[in-house]
Amino acid sequence: MQTTHPGVGSEPISMRFPRIFPRPKSDYGIWSWISTVDHKRIGTLYAVTSFLWFLVGGIEALIMRLQLSQADNTLVDPELFNQLFTMHGTTMVFLVVMPLSAAFFNWLVPLQIGARDVAFPRLNALSYWIFLFGSLFLNFSWFVGDAPNGGWFGYAPNSHLAFNPTHGMTYWVIGLNILGIASIAAGLNFIVTILNMRAPGMTLTKMPVFTWMTFVTSVLIVLALPVLTVALIQLQVDRLYGTHFYNTAAGGDPVLWQHVFWLFGHPEVYILILPAMGIVSEILPVFSRKPLFGYTFLVFAGVAIGFMGWFVWSHHMFTVGLGPAANSAFAISTMAIAIPTGVKIFNWIGTMWGGSVRFSTAMLFAISFIAMFTIGGLSGVMHASVPTDAQQQDTYFVVAHFHYVLFGGAIMAIFGGIYFWWPKATGYMLSEGWGKANWLLMLIGFNLQFAPQHWLGLDGMPRRVFTYAENMGWENTNMYASAGGFLMAFGVLLFLINVFYSARKRVPAGDDPWDGRTLEWSIASPPPHYNFEKIPNVEHRDDWWFTKHPELIAEYYHDEHEGELRAPSGAQFDDDVEDEHHDEHTSDHHGDDDHGHGIHLPDMSYYPFILALGLTIVGAGLMTIIPVIIIGVVILLWGLIGWSMEPVNDPVPEGASHGH
Amino acid sequence: MQHWLTPSNFNKLALVVLALAATSILAACSPEHPQSTFGYGGPVARDQGDLFILIFWIAVAVFIVVEGAIIYAAIRYRRRDDKIPKQVHGNTKLEITWTVLPSIVIAAIAVPTIIGIWEQQRGAPTDMGDVLEVEAIGHRWWFEFRYPNQEVVTANEMHIPVGRPVNVQLASQDVIHSFWVPKLAGKIDMVPLNDNLLWFIAEEPGVYDGQCAEFCGIAHAHMRFRVIAHTEEGFQQWVAGMRTPPVAFESGSPEQQGQTLFATHCKTCHTDDSWRQDAYSLEIQQQDSRWATWLDDIENSRIVSAPNMTHYGDRLFLGAGIKENSRENLIKWINDPNDIKIGTSMQAHAAVYQERDDNKINLSSQEVENIADYLLGLVPGDIEQLAAPQITGGTPEERGEQLFVSIGCNACHSLDADTTIVGPSLIGIADRAGTRTSLSAEDYMRQSINDPAAFIVDGFTNSMVVPKLPASQVDDLIAYISTLK
Amino acid sequence: MASASATYEIKSEHGEVINTSTGLSNKKLLMWAFLGSDVMFFGSFIATFLVYRNRSLVGPYPADILDIPITSVSTFVLLMSSLAMVLALSYVQEGRKKLGTLWIFAVVVLGAIFLLFQVYEFNHFAKVGLTPRTNLFGTTFFILTGLHGAHVTLGVLWLMFLGFGSIKGTLRADNAIDLELAGLYWHFVDIVWIVIFTVIYLISARDVAPPGSVPWVPGAH
Repeated sequence: MQTTHPGVGSEPISMRFPRIFPRPKSDYGIWSWISTVDHKRIGTLYAVTSFLWFLVGGIEALIMRLQLSQADNTLVDPELFNQLFTMHGTTMVFLVVMPLSAAFFNWLVPLQIGARDVAFPRLNALSYWIFLFGSLFLNFSWFVGDAPNGGWFGYAPNSHLAFNPTHGMTYWVIGLNILGIASIAAGLNFIVTILNMRAPGMTLTKMPVFTWMTFVTSVLIVLALPVLTVALIQLQVDRLYGTHFYNTAAGGDPVLWQHVFWLFGHPEVYILILPAMGIVSEILPVFSRKPLFGYTFLVFAGVAIGFMGWFVWSHHMFTVGLGPAANSAFAISTMAIAIPTGVKIFNWIGTMWGGSVRFSTAMLFAISFIAMFTIGGLSGVMHASVPTDAQQQDTYFVVAHFHYVLFGGAIMAIFGGIYFWWPKATGYMLSEGWGKANWLLMLIGFNLQFAPQHWLGLDGMPRRVFTYAENMGWENTNMYASAGGFLMAFGVLLFLINVFYSARKRVPAGDDPWDGRTLEWSIASPPPHYNFEKIPNVEHRDDWWFTKHPELIAEYYHDEHEGELRAPSGAQFDDDVEDEHHDEHTSDHHGDDDHGHGIHLPDMSYYPFILALGLTIVGAGLMTIIPVIIIGVVILLWGLIGWSMEPVNDPVPEGASHGH
Repeated sequence: MQHWLTPSNFNKLALVVLALAATSILAACSPEHPQSTFGYGGPVARDQGDLFILIFWIAVAVFIVVEGAIIYAAIRYRRRDDKIPKQVHGNTKLEITWTVLPSIVIAAIAVPTIIGIWEQQRGAPTDMGDVLEVEAIGHRWWFEFRYPNQEVVTANEMHIPVGRPVNVQLASQDVIHSFWVPKLAGKIDMVPLNDNLLWFIAEEPGVYDGQCAEFCGIAHAHMRFRVIAHTEEGFQQWVAGMRTPPVAFESGSPEQQGQTLFATHCKTCHTDDSWRQDAYSLEIQQQDSRWATWLDDIENSRIVSAPNMTHYGDRLFLGAGIKENSRENLIKWINDPNDIKIGTSMQAHAAVYQERDDNKINLSSQEVENIADYLLGLVPGDIEQLAAPQITGGTPEERGEQLFVSIGCNACHSLDADTTIVGPSLIGIADRAGTRTSLSAEDYMRQSINDPAAFIVDGFTNSMVVPKLPASQVDDLIAYISTLK
Repeated sequence: MASASATYEIKSEHGEVINTSTGLSNKKLLMWAFLGSDVMFFGSFIATFLVYRNRSLVGPYPADILDIPITSVSTFVLLMSSLAMVLALSYVQEGRKKLGTLWIFAVVVLGAIFLLFQVYEFNHFAKVGLTPRTNLFGTTFFILTGLHGAHVTLGVLWLMFLGFGSIKGTLRADNAIDLELAGLYWHFVDIVWIVIFTVIYLISARDVAPPGSVPWVPGAH
């Protein structure tokens, strides 16, 4: 079964399949990135790409804020405005928060569970390349002047051909379908990775909460994205081939679109926020120097949210006229989901309570996450109440609400995560000084932008309007909001400055700069290709922390149920005590001097790139350009066949080794 | 280290600060803003607002507790030394507490929520006065209002009486729109193929701003409307006015020329005479057929659904509630509607705009002014006169002539053989009348006055409105009309 | 995707291969998770079909056009292919190469016959006057059964690939997992068809013109 021995297994076939490019081996250069299957490099690719889209989406938002800063403004025309808010929403959801979370999944999950890579490294690369090409395809629409203009929710029949004859929504449909494939592939990969690749001893109840939330998110992705795919296929065949799913003239029902879209769309909200909750659950204990309070409840609340998230979708449709019975049921289910969310918030506070709280930039972002997310949650309960929602639905109140959840929540946590794990990923620190300025400006700017928008909504300003009349009384408030937007943008700029500044300074981070708790802090920064020279044996939650502080173990288990009381297994910990704090390459702490020789990682492969390229070209060709489809299919088949015939590892000459 | 910030101190301080902040927010509710959800104009908006205030204060309490705890924990437990704090893993009793407490709070919100849902979404109550039925239809990008029981149809300005529940049947012809008058009630969407209901009561006469709240395309921001609440008498008067012919224009006046231009260039899509008898069902049919024609060939259609212009002169706003309905604005609008409201269908579909490369109207500025004057002159004529005016003295022919003018026959029937206004010219009718049907000339004329639908002259439709006239007055009219040789 | 996954072994201190945490192979877990995803995919389309049942404005309606006996035959063929799949897997796992190959190609042939039935049915409907553009029934019927057909086609291609592998000797007892994955997929597609058959051909087969719609007259299209 060991593929280290050449000549066994399926190699003969693969050898005969013609290779146009040689299989890359180099560690550097662009080709090494294109053909990488290393989860850490893929994580970096995700992070860089989605951060660039974050800047694009932010610029879209700033243009809108400029337009709305004055009544009857004519800076952008309504068509462009519609394109801007459609692409802002689509970008931030599908090209920023989801892939930024994916960057964290990629970087951290294998490190946290003590694995050397994800379960399917090439599939992982495929996910990234599909995401990249899909996002480029979606934004290509800007350059042909036909950006999507029907809203990120694409409500039929406004997105139907009769009412939206430009190509914009076709780009949107095909682009999102391509991105959906990437997300599903990534979700499947992380489900398998988390279930199957855990280090010995890491039971589900010992898994770090971030990994847990990744797991819940992955399950949600795998189950929710197909529903979006269905909605998009229906709209696509309607638009391109004249079917009737949402053609009202033939009896197609616009409400069906909303049901299908939000059946995806609400779990999607949790897909966006659960990873952020996971990140915060990692940062808080480290900077409070205390275990996560109520781990079991926190995890269970996350699972409960993921489950209940499937039964609340119609709260996006309270004004559609589903009738009082349906509205009552969904009002109750929506309010009920606030309970596990509250449990999470209280547990996070409980984590800080009695701790030793250090205000690092990461911690400040994490605390801001709790504070801002709470506000978003409270306004969420307000529009869970159908009668008040009748006044709030489709107004700026809702805009304020979900920005408190998705910016004050998800983005704040993601920034916290960036500051937290940056030293691990790069080996050097981000400047705390710039970081705190970054945090402060973002926090103030964010609140200045979105707190007044609650008020705008209650004052009757609808969403998605490109302008408003002078006498409505909305001008000052909009001006504050716009000013806040630019302040926030300035905060993001400080982050970029920090990145360049710190990259020049290169203050070495060491392996464990924050006195971390989970396994990723037990290895070098940046981690070697193979992550763990020796797969760790996990005994506890926060295993690395208790490895460093074995004297605290008894205290931690102090009031746990008798049955769970588990004394540390002697020998291993004796070793660790000696190694504590001194060990640069902690993976050596079992005395293994193998130094990675014999650790076997998959070889690089360019087929994921080719397959993703072919898939995207086929998608582009679906806009009824037959030759493009043919070209795409040829490339796709090349990628697919090459992939299936390529062994995970090329035969290795005797004595040589991989991974270095 | 000195602890000025003890837990109890801190809580008090936070409470005061936040209570002040919250009060000032609510005080700044600005109910006078045109679309403020706090400017309650009736019970539905008030109930919704009250429920919001209730939840708001609960939220404020939770906010203080949670945010206070965050800030307190962060400051109180900030790192002072290198000691490792006690490694607590959790506390089941606490967990249960903070699961149960929010559940109770949620239940406290859920109960009034459910009550509110059933009160507001079951259609208008029947015990709060006579229900006025209105059908509101969303079009890209304007609102059509139909009053099935009054047989009145209008656009963008919905007239209602105060103190009576208004039951609005919401529908849409094209995409999803949403009917929202914040001061009267929260929104309900207008969804094609789905019948939705919304009800509200306006307590005070006045003009209430409304706006489409569901994204519906390029002119979504400009899809506004007004609800105009009258006293009961005012409303009845408005209804009667909408069933009354407009003041007649002098022949040759700018208005009259504008009328002809309107009939030539605008009338295919804009009906301007729904005051006529039977005009209501006719207009509904016509809107349907306009819609079907448009949908059949969206690119090239020269017909599109359009707002009804009956008694347009009474409108407060133009362009679906976005500009004051002044002569100046109207002229601008007719010249180049897209300049005021991008996305209107006029330039995309009306031939009179298609003829020019710059898509402006292909008429002289004088002609445009005439159309504007005509439209602004469209106001109900004297309703009183319509109810069989008392005319005494003179010969039957003289009395008939007065009657002919005073009840507005001349608004549609010209006395000039070469001019057709709406109905057939009546010159020479005495000679033709006997040949139209098997009836004698006099009986034919009597039938046409009492029951206009009985015989329709080729090339015309029945849109004639005649007040109930005593038989003697009908005789007078016939005597006069018989003189028109 | 047969060998798309790239598992690698974790070696313990003593060099033996550590099993996965759950004991299930990665590939198998991946396939199960994917099938869960596909359940949502077909579920949404089937739900759409049911929502639009009896809502077509013009004919032909299901009762006018569906031919249950013919489709029952093709359903039987597909069911038999699942049986063949079970036999194929069991022979491959036992290392009986010839029988394994034979039964893999039996699955391929039965799957292809099912597809031919579908091609015939689609053509026939189009001739009689039902296309995806005719009415809601046409739209939902063709897209749902068409996407199922696309799944079957993929399965047939995949099994052909494996069949040739079996001939060449690259599919053997020790990597029969590759065939097992294809089998999981094939059984799933089969089960989905049972649901589709029930929903379209059994539950909706007698649906005629709903109130307010125009009854269908053959040939008048």
